[in-house]
Amino acid sequence: MNFDFSPEEQKFADEVEAWLVENHDPVVMDHHRENFTQLSDTPERRAFMKKLAAKNWLGMSWPKQYGGQEIEGVYEYILNEALSKHAAPQIGKGIGIIGKTLIRHGNEKLKKEFLPKILSAEVEFAVGYSEPQAGSDAANMQLKAEKVDGGWKLNGQKMWTTSAHFADWYWLGARTDPDKPKHDGLSLFLIPMDHPGLEIQSLPTIGKDTTNQVFFEDVFVPDDYLVGKRGKGFQMISEALDLERFTLFTLSPISNRSEVLVDWVKKAKRDDKPLKDDANVRRMIAHIMTDTAVAKGLSTRFVCAAKSGGKPPTIESSQYKLFTTTLSQRVCKDALDIQGHEGTIMEGQDDAPILGRFEGAYRATMNETVGGGSSEIQKNIIARRHLGLPKNF
Amino acid sequence: MDLDWTDEQQMIIDMTRSMLEEYSTSEVVRSQEDDPRGYPDALWKQMSELGLNGLLIPESHGGGGQTLLEGALVYEELGRAMAPTPHFVSSVMSAGVLLAAGSDAQKNEWLVRIANGDAILTPAWLEPERGCGEAGVALSAEKDGGDYILNGRKRSVAFASSAARLIVLARSDAGVDLFLVDPNSKGVVRKQLLSQGREAQYQVDFDGVRVGAGDRIGAAGSGWTTWSDVMHQGIILLAAQAIGGANRCLEETVEFSKERIQFDKPLGAFQALAHYMADASTEIDGGRVLVHEAAWNHAAGRSIARLAPMAKLFCCETYRETTRICAQIWGGVAFTIEYDQQMFFRRAKQLQLSWWDTPFLEELIAADVLDN
Repeated sequence: MNFDFSPEEQKFADEVEAWLVENHDPVVMDHHRENFTQLSDTPERRAFMKKLAAKNWLGMSWPKQYGGQEIEGVYEYILNEALSKHAAPQIGKGIGIIGKTLIRHGNEKLKKEFLPKILSAEVEFAVGYSEPQAGSDAANMQLKAEKVDGGWKLNGQKMWTTSAHFADWYWLGARTDPDKPKHDGLSLFLIPMDHPGLEIQSLPTIGKDTTNQVFFEDVFVPDDYLVGKRGKGFQMISEALDLERFTLFTLSPISNRSEVLVDWVKKAKRDDKPLKDDANVRRMIAHIMTDTAVAKGLSTRFVCAAKSGGKPPTIESSQYKLFTTTLSQRVCKDALDIQGHEGTIMEGQDDAPILGRFEGAYRATMNETVGGGSSEIQKNIIARRHLGLPKNF
Repeated sequence: MDLDWTDEQQMIIDMTRSMLEEYSTSEVVRSQEDDPRGYPDALWKQMSELGLNGLLIPESHGGGGQTLLEGALVYEELGRAMAPTPHFVSSVMSAGVLLAAGSDAQKNEWLVRIANGDAILTPAWLEPERGCGEAGVALSAEKDGGDYILNGRKRSVAFASSAARLIVLARSDAGVDLFLVDPNSKGVVRKQLLSQGREAQYQVDFDGVRVGAGDRIGAAGSGWTTWSDVMHQGIILLAAQAIGGANRCLEETVEFSKERIQFDKPLGAFQALAHYMADASTEIDGGRVLVHEAAWNHAAGRSIARLAPMAKLFCCETYRETTRICAQIWGGVAFTIEYDQQMFFRRAKQLQLSWWDTPFLEELIAADVLDN
């Protein structure tokens, strides 16, 4: 048992930390965006991603033949935690689910076209799985892919495509085989985001980023841009999630938020008395810090399970996601309760406590227990796979 | 980072579990509830023979010289088996106090005997209408020539009926002092008070009890520092005990929920109930890592000022909450004496309120976070 990084891992963590301090950019690294800075559509963010690429920090775990370094996934975990600690954009879905799926299942043309561009941060992806009738029931995608000469014709609608308004390429699932059982009738496609017939409609949220719905009208996709085997879409989506446990939801933004709250409480006064002497406030802080320590424990647990290289740490990552996203919201809620009426002053105004960090975070984190597999889906996974309860829901 | 056990650590787990499965069965645990002595000879003898009673005592004093990490492994098993033993009061707290502050003579007299289970020592700490912090220690120790005279009342003194010595926290003119007191001394009266966890607990009155200066442990006025230091170590083990109890309670409930049919379905197929169990498993698995992190930090010579109270706070609440939701799944039978669930339910709350309770732990953490 050892709770420290190995000397090599620690050296890498120190190197990343020093680099992030040296390359601090307030436009790119904005703590008020919590862990969503990778959703900023700014030239500064794109430039920052290129700097990460120049450091050879993108695709570290990829095979050498595709430009990677074949090093342990734990280094990507260390990198993402450091990035999100500084509110910098994380390495994201191109390196993760898309790159890794292409490496395992893509044809040579797709590998040649996309893998180098992913490593050099020259391509941005949007991911389209959700649909009006496919939320938690992800395998229920209905977007129709009809076989036509030389390719596929797509018609239908996607929901919750967060990066659609600035991405270059769309990675999506569609139903190629409607007569087969629902898990066996899906295939994955890559489409340029500016393709004729794609209409992107913004869906503003109470967070800082818009999400989008995307409509497909007779969108033609050449055969080459069907990823992997026809009908294996859902299996590839599930496999990619298992491959990507290291770059899940990061803990650093929550630890950072707890620290910011503690620093504020230490200095704040109410009715001329130090707020930190208030017994209720002390109690809330004790629980926030304790639960943050438990979240770190659950994160250590899945990192160690992933490192061991056995079966994918599905249970560990579900437990981590369930606990940590719930905690993330509770930290924001407790912070507002501690701030009282002043907590309601909207973010972005100088008069708000901590510039409204928690007013904003309270809104921004609302979706964390829903997106990426809701808390209820995580509990289903834990119930079935960890506790062996009957599969009846 | 790795969370794997060494082969030796795994051996300690396996050995402890299989011994407890034989010597701390449900029947044994039930037989010791409200018993004035409160622990069975057979179990205690086994624990001594396996070296568990001296596990944390240095080899130079006849123990196994293991770290808190090994201690946590054993305590998870003790919690799992609800083992009725004076191990915590004697081998952890009393031995810990002697190791931290005892004179060579005191160590030589007691540690070997604690390690081999021949002597049981127990702390006499809490008092009526007083809290579990330093200010709570009010039993008076008045100087009388070279001696001290103790007057006052102690509560929650576990296994006092078997104790060769009590380690009494008392208030002298120097502050809090610790004294080794023979419970058979003139003026000491022990009275059993039944408790929710049904452990052998005593109220002990001290009426003009004379104690020699040589029975004071450590320098005058240093008692609370010693006690607090040993408590920080002890509560990590209690957190492990809580995880062990919670985990077994959940395991038994999960199995039950697969077999019990209502509305033509096993209970575990109802999402409302499955989600209770998924929540409990997440908190148990998370709490366990926190316990191990605290124990590992102590073993590595690092501070446990924050991690130790966090571990007990979280794990004891997890144990309590687990027993509550498990009762929902068992239904009415959980309320009956016949089923074991009620034993976990009562012990969970007792453990949460014992040693350092929730408000005290919260304040320890808050002070470390906000005041330093």
